[in-house]
Amino acid sequence: MKNLNIRALSFVCLLFGFSINSYAVPSIQTAQLDNGLTILLVEAHNVPMVSLQLTTPAGSRFDTINKAGTASMLATILGDHTAKHNDKAWAEWLDSEAIRLGASASRDTLSLSLTVVRDSLPVGLDAFSEALLQPGWYKKRFLSLREDGIAAAIKSQETPGTQAAQATAKLLYGSHGYGHTTSGTAKSLPHIQLNDLKTLYTNQVRPVGSVLAVSGDITMQEILRLLKPRLKTWQGKPSVAALDIKQPSVVRRKSSHVTIPTSQALVQFSRLGIARSNHDFFPLFVMNHLLGGGGFGSKLMEEVREKRGLVYGVYSYFIPLAAPGPFIITLQTRAEQAEKAAQVVRDVMKTLADGKIDKKQLDATKSNLVGSFAQRMDSNRERVGLLSMIGFYQMPLDYLQNWTAHVQSVTLSDVRRMAKAYLQTDDWNILQVGPAKEKKH
Amino acid sequence: MRILFLLLLLSAPLFSTHVHAAELQQATFSNGAKLIVEEDHSAPVAMVQVWLKVGGRDEVPGKTGLAHVFEHMMFKGSKALKPGEYSKRISAMGGNDNAFTSHDFTAFFETVPAEQVDTALNMEAERFAHLDLDAKEFGREIKVIMEERRMRTEDDPNSHMFEELSAAALRLHPYRNPVIGWMQDLKKLNIDDVRAFYTKHYVARNATVVIVGDVDFNHVKKVVKRTFGHMKDVKVPPRFNPTEPEPLGAKRVDVHLPAKSPVLAITLPVPVWLPGKNDSETAALAVATYILGGGRSAILQRQLVDEQRKAFSASAGYDPFGMGLDLWYAYGMLGAKQSPQNFEKALWAILKDMGNKPVSVKQLQIAKKNIIANEIFAQDSLYLRAKEIGHMETVGIGAMHKDEWLDAIRAVTTKDIQEVVSKYLRPERATTGVLKPEVHS
Repeated sequence: MKNLNIRALSFVCLLFGFSINSYAVPSIQTAQLDNGLTILLVEAHNVPMVSLQLTTPAGSRFDTINKAGTASMLATILGDHTAKHNDKAWAEWLDSEAIRLGASASRDTLSLSLTVVRDSLPVGLDAFSEALLQPGWYKKRFLSLREDGIAAAIKSQETPGTQAAQATAKLLYGSHGYGHTTSGTAKSLPHIQLNDLKTLYTNQVRPVGSVLAVSGDITMQEILRLLKPRLKTWQGKPSVAALDIKQPSVVRRKSSHVTIPTSQALVQFSRLGIARSNHDFFPLFVMNHLLGGGGFGSKLMEEVREKRGLVYGVYSYFIPLAAPGPFIITLQTRAEQAEKAAQVVRDVMKTLADGKIDKKQLDATKSNLVGSFAQRMDSNRERVGLLSMIGFYQMPLDYLQNWTAHVQSVTLSDVRRMAKAYLQTDDWNILQVGPAKEKKH
Repeated sequence: MRILFLLLLLSAPLFSTHVHAAELQQATFSNGAKLIVEEDHSAPVAMVQVWLKVGGRDEVPGKTGLAHVFEHMMFKGSKALKPGEYSKRISAMGGNDNAFTSHDFTAFFETVPAEQVDTALNMEAERFAHLDLDAKEFGREIKVIMEERRMRTEDDPNSHMFEELSAAALRLHPYRNPVIGWMQDLKKLNIDDVRAFYTKHYVARNATVVIVGDVDFNHVKKVVKRTFGHMKDVKVPPRFNPTEPEPLGAKRVDVHLPAKSPVLAITLPVPVWLPGKNDSETAALAVATYILGGGRSAILQRQLVDEQRKAFSASAGYDPFGMGLDLWYAYGMLGAKQSPQNFEKALWAILKDMGNKPVSVKQLQIAKKNIIANEIFAQDSLYLRAKEIGHMETVGIGAMHKDEWLDAIRAVTTKDIQEVVSKYLRPERATTGVLKPEVHS
């Protein structure tokens, strides 16, 4: 129960980009099964373990509007039991083999993951394929899990971050598939029925367009030999392809407030960012790293925390998805000084949008990104995440090899162009979560 | 070698030809500073951590939060570096830096490209020996710390309740105070307090440098000898570690906060591992805690949540690597229709049962296998590997003993578990905390 404090928040930007140091980037091996499933592998033989993740186009963007949380519930059910094992027998079997099997959903994807000690890979893949191909759909168990999910959703309303995520999704995307949080809410979860999960599973959890990313102490030949017999009955393509999605409409200058009894206010600026396929990814990525994605090296952290002591953390990130994902700037501070902190953020945005960025700042940002590449893929878990992104969003397979060059080639005028295009304060929406605002006048 | 050892423990009969993790190599310099290295040449990256035998336990009453202040002030300038410059330089070399504080230790770390390790070590030593501690910088940073406390504790009903629970459970032991400090103390700390704490605790004898990654031991030994090894030899008194009196009866604390739903937690003082002295007792506690709260078959989740429906989430925790004692805990998060009284009664029925009759041999084997597998999975992260070494060394267990812990785990019998549970996990030794949601109009 001893508490541990970590100085900086973990920066979400780590998910979205990787840079390359001057060393041999591990090469990605690729294969395709007869059923259309793409396999990507990076071999790593330093620890006798294997991690893998299957990513399918069955994310929360497919949730119907009053049933937010459907994809997430499907992930829960797939990981919980199968047609051959009820939840209790399933838990005992996985634990007795030290098999770590997980399932989760995000906006675009539903993922099933596996981590095992190398020698347990065959039995691990038995469990993995059983979870994927033989869902149990036990009604009573579904109702219990849904009830626990509702209780957890109510509890999570204590957290300003959860409230902000829900309000911002709604504000920015309305009825678009990104207009709700993946986990759903206490209101939406009770509407979800077992049949909704079955429909999503049948329509979208298909091998074509799905990606199996593997990293660890294994070769392509070995993994194919193990996978082929286990996945041969899995067939078909999804009703909606992975990247087939409606474009969200632009929303700007909206403001909203959520009242909760906290001492701090959470201030969240939001606007649309870009899709993963956008050619401006690298310039925007570098610009954001300089703005607020680079932790203590970033402009926002310097102005809001280091110079003024207004916050513990302030950061910015954009999430490149199948369609343009959100671009967010967020901070938490004592409610009385929320407006003051928000103004500092606006000033920083304006400064950058006006082109006041110097070469030194840009060089420092680029050297951080380039130098830290190796450490961002120095574990199986990280490599699997990276391979999944490359595969699912159909990035070129030399993505890693060319990453540094892409970052290096971003010029001062590129960054200024991005700041001008994305940091106009009038284009942003603002949300505050915290105590009721004092009425002025 | 170490991973091979882990695999053997897992009873895997196969030998790996690919195991690279090295033995720990260490050196102690004449002024008491220490170096521990685990070479891993699988990627051109190294994790550098500086561990200090100073933490929340070394504060005097009225000055809580002082140890954690350094987690912030170490980035606020030294003789050679301006405020903020430390992080900027690490960032520019492609590194990421951070720090953390507990009751028992403070640690500063950076992941850097292998060729930058010497520079990082020089910078760590420079700020350690020549910290600036400017009054104005402190004035700003203490405000940041107060925002951190608001975010982590004041506005988070669960952690606020756990803070109250720890404070109520102990009379003497410093685990009763929060590491971040009481707000009342934070408001009164001044720069003289900070300077005095620095002079007393930031001395070579309290420092252990831990490096895991692509380095050569003999080379870094020279660098550390020239830096940390060259500081003045200052004697340090034994660390504050009072003997907590045995509880004389059950205690309760109700915490009324604006929460959405109740939480009930119990905590009890239990022993921590003293190698060669109480291996069987503490390892049995660790295995018992895993059976209660670890993995998919965890008894608390299975029985209290899945079967009896008395909470929507339940678990237990034990840290055998503390100093003096650990506050063992178990908790349940409750939904709207679940009562704290019913949960509490059912929780104690499980603990009583575990003290009255042995767990099954299967449960025992599953717990052991998973504790060891977790050790293998932890090898996937340079950060976790270095952290385990630094932690064990700094609390006085000694990094060289870390594999003995797994021997102790392997030796646990069902009888050992029954004995420790009936000896320590008894209601008359417990402090119970209940988070009671305030009704807000």
